[in-house]
Amino acid sequence: MSWLSFTFAAGAWFLAASVPLIILYFLKLKRPKLEIPSLVLWQSVVNDQRVNSPFQKFRRNLLLLLQLLLLFLIVLALMQPRVQSGAGASEYMPILVDCSASMGAKDEATGKTRLDLVKEQLLDRIDRLGPDQKLALFSFADTGRRLTEFTSDRRDLKRAVNALTASDLPGRLDDVLRMTAAYTRTFPIDRITVMTDGNISSQIDFELPFKIDVVKVDPPGPNIGITEFSARRSGPEDWEVFVRVAGASADMREGTLELYENGQKTADQKLEVAVDESQRLVFPVTTTEPTLLEARLVPTGFDSMQTDNSVWLTLPAARPLRVWVSSELNAWKHAVRVLTQVELAGAEGGGPGALDYDMVVSESEDIEGAESPVSIFVGVIPSDLAGIVELREEIATVVDWNRTSPLLRHVQLGDVQVGESPAYIAGKGVKDLEERGYEVLIDGNLGPLLVQRREGLHVAFYFLFHTDRSTLPYRLGFPIMVANGVEASLKQAALSEVASAPTGVLPALSVEPDREYRVRGPGGDEVTLRSSGGGMLSGAAAGTVGRYDILDGADVITSIGTGLLNPLESSLAQVQELQFTEVTVKSEEGEVLDSDFPLWWTAALIAFGLMLYEWWYFQRGRGVMT
Amino acid sequence: MTIPSSSSQLTSLFENSVLNQIERMRLKPMRRLTNRSRGEHLSGKGGSSTDFADYRDYAAGDDLRYVDWNIFARLHRPYIKQFQHEEELHVVLIIDASTSMLFENKLLRARQLAAAFGIMGLLNVERVSAYAVHQKQGEQWILPPGSGRQKIRPLLTFLEQIGGGGNVPVEKAIETALRFHRGRGIVVILSDFLTLGDLTRPLNLLYSSGLEVWGVQILGDSEINPVMQGDLRLVDSETGETLDITNASELVNIYHDQRLWLQETLDTLCRRRNGRFVSTNSAADLRSVLFDQLCRQGWVTR
Repeated sequence: MSWLSFTFAAGAWFLAASVPLIILYFLKLKRPKLEIPSLVLWQSVVNDQRVNSPFQKFRRNLLLLLQLLLLFLIVLALMQPRVQSGAGASEYMPILVDCSASMGAKDEATGKTRLDLVKEQLLDRIDRLGPDQKLALFSFADTGRRLTEFTSDRRDLKRAVNALTASDLPGRLDDVLRMTAAYTRTFPIDRITVMTDGNISSQIDFELPFKIDVVKVDPPGPNIGITEFSARRSGPEDWEVFVRVAGASADMREGTLELYENGQKTADQKLEVAVDESQRLVFPVTTTEPTLLEARLVPTGFDSMQTDNSVWLTLPAARPLRVWVSSELNAWKHAVRVLTQVELAGAEGGGPGALDYDMVVSESEDIEGAESPVSIFVGVIPSDLAGIVELREEIATVVDWNRTSPLLRHVQLGDVQVGESPAYIAGKGVKDLEERGYEVLIDGNLGPLLVQRREGLHVAFYFLFHTDRSTLPYRLGFPIMVANGVEASLKQAALSEVASAPTGVLPALSVEPDREYRVRGPGGDEVTLRSSGGGMLSGAAAGTVGRYDILDGADVITSIGTGLLNPLESSLAQVQELQFTEVTVKSEEGEVLDSDFPLWWTAALIAFGLMLYEWWYFQRGRGVMT
Repeated sequence: MTIPSSSSQLTSLFENSVLNQIERMRLKPMRRLTNRSRGEHLSGKGGSSTDFADYRDYAAGDDLRYVDWNIFARLHRPYIKQFQHEEELHVVLIIDASTSMLFENKLLRARQLAAAFGIMGLLNVERVSAYAVHQKQGEQWILPPGSGRQKIRPLLTFLEQIGGGGNVPVEKAIETALRFHRGRGIVVILSDFLTLGDLTRPLNLLYSSGLEVWGVQILGDSEINPVMQGDLRLVDSETGETLDITNASELVNIYHDQRLWLQETLDTLCRRRNGRFVSTNSAADLRSVLFDQLCRQGWVTR
């Protein structure tokens, strides 16, 4: 519902000028006098015309009416009327602009990106900004960013809009909505506007404190892109590289996928995909050295989005998994020893030492090297759980276990009996464990039997009972469980499977502890990061698709490539509904940004046209008789 | 037509050549509405002229002088010879000399036509009288009835001195003239007939007085084909009343309709009273009007 409002309503007083106008009109009105022999015929003419022309009275004072209308239009323009939209009625208007990768998709006909269309709408909206209205601009991709505070400064707003660029990141509203809610807490906001192409995650974990208007631009042209790039070791020196290409076109689209190893093209393959379809390509790669793979998609014909056409993947050097098992844990050692691609250590006694092991199995928490990627502690109650769980000399039985845990997959624990029973101390429970970051994987009849704790890249499993005091080593599930642990360690050490890193943040790297490293992005820009005390280098932003080099001084210690790798972004699909925590918001296709529509120039234009008409009408023949 | 000013001209109203032609013309009334007195218009009844008309049986008391003795000698029965009775036709000229007639030589044309009709009447031994209707005091406005060639000069003098002016409508002018008139014949009303009044009553009075009504409407060129544009305030020349019109060019068509309707009305009024009506442009050539238009319409004979 729109209403007419006036910026300068006091200008209506100028309508009082109509009084002197009318007076002057009648004072100044002079018709040319023409003496004729008799009015007889003309009287009849006028009478006849009055009968046949009901608007004669109106036409008699046409000049006055035109002048009054002209005055009214000029005053109307002076009052600066505008048609208020529902969204634009408020004084403060936050606008959230989608800058995700799909906004960089181009239209085949115009060559304009979605973001260009949004920017045009925004600039138009800024031009029509009312004097008492303020805009705050936010941009978002996977995270949000505030571009301007609430301001009516058109120059600032336009500068912020013109600086907007599409990123190589997927679009999510959660973060920017939280940011907007926090920022607008002190302002009377009842609705916000989201300008997007509709290609955003439809599930949003956010409780809307305001109404939301979703303004969508038209969908772009066809697109195909790489949505998955991973590799799996198939032999000591062999890898199978998988590439999935998805399409976003009603027609079948063709292209060629090229694979580069350390910059050298080694293979290519033609492909065909259509909308809502994908094609998975497999390339065999043989290497023992760290190799940087690049999958490059070369579409045939027009392709809306270039961002999703290149993806990088780093293959690690081939080596066996290094496992350290405490010398007293014979059952574990036997189970590990029979596994392939594993290098067992620890049989000689002593601690594992350093960080050289990918997996450590120990019956003591206080060992050096416990920060290995995967640690399994047997018969150990973590020190921070001492006040929650205690060990009792009772027979414990397994009640339930987490069958989806990587460690317990395909493991049957139903008839396992434990000679000692970890039990909750009175008043304590699962909640206390979870508060300390633990997850219960096996529940016994008195308390937890196995808990897991993740810390960064490290994952630690704690058997709160000693496996030697249970029937577990004698069950078929035990070697399966050990194999699961080794498999998890292989994945953790990227020795069996690797996947390309999506844009956003670079995956954490194991490096020298407490040391500064430089991360050089695809554009040559560098960021200096310091590794943690545990030797983890993490938190490096990777907002652009491309290759990132990790430098220690002048040496490149490793390279990591990123890709968009987002099926939703590559599909360019538009969501029809946004599912918030409590409400569902529909996004109408083709909706334009609703805003106040100024009418002053329209009134001024009509007044000017009216003035020209009046001039023409009264100058074409002014009282001439021949 | 310019008024001749030479001293050799008999009148300032038209040239002598026109006058010569007029002298050979006679009025042609629709009916024989004549006076009992002597005149040159033939009566339907037996008269005392030398022109033989018919025979009838003798009746007791008839004047024996009219018995045809030759017939009596052959047939031995007395027959009375009848002769055509030549009676006097009265020609009344009513000239509208109001202010509206002063535009575009309308009054001049009215005086010219009145002179022509009057001369035709006088030269045919009719009784001619003239009335100039206006409000100017001190000016002669009645020419008493008279006949014969010797009355031409007074008629022309009377017509030449009509100045015009005033706002007497034509219906009032007719009624005024009737108060002074006696006799049967024809009445020629020379006017623009632009009056708001009803002409039915005065024309009825004329008809009942034994006068055949000849209406001659004289309009100016601007009244026949007005060319106007824009907004105008029209001022009546007689009453001074004003009328505002807007976008006059769009009203011209309606004006033409109204003018034609007025002419049809006047024509009907005259014809219903055994009369005739003609509308003429004051700018038209006098010879064309007299010797062509009026002749073709049967008003006069040559």
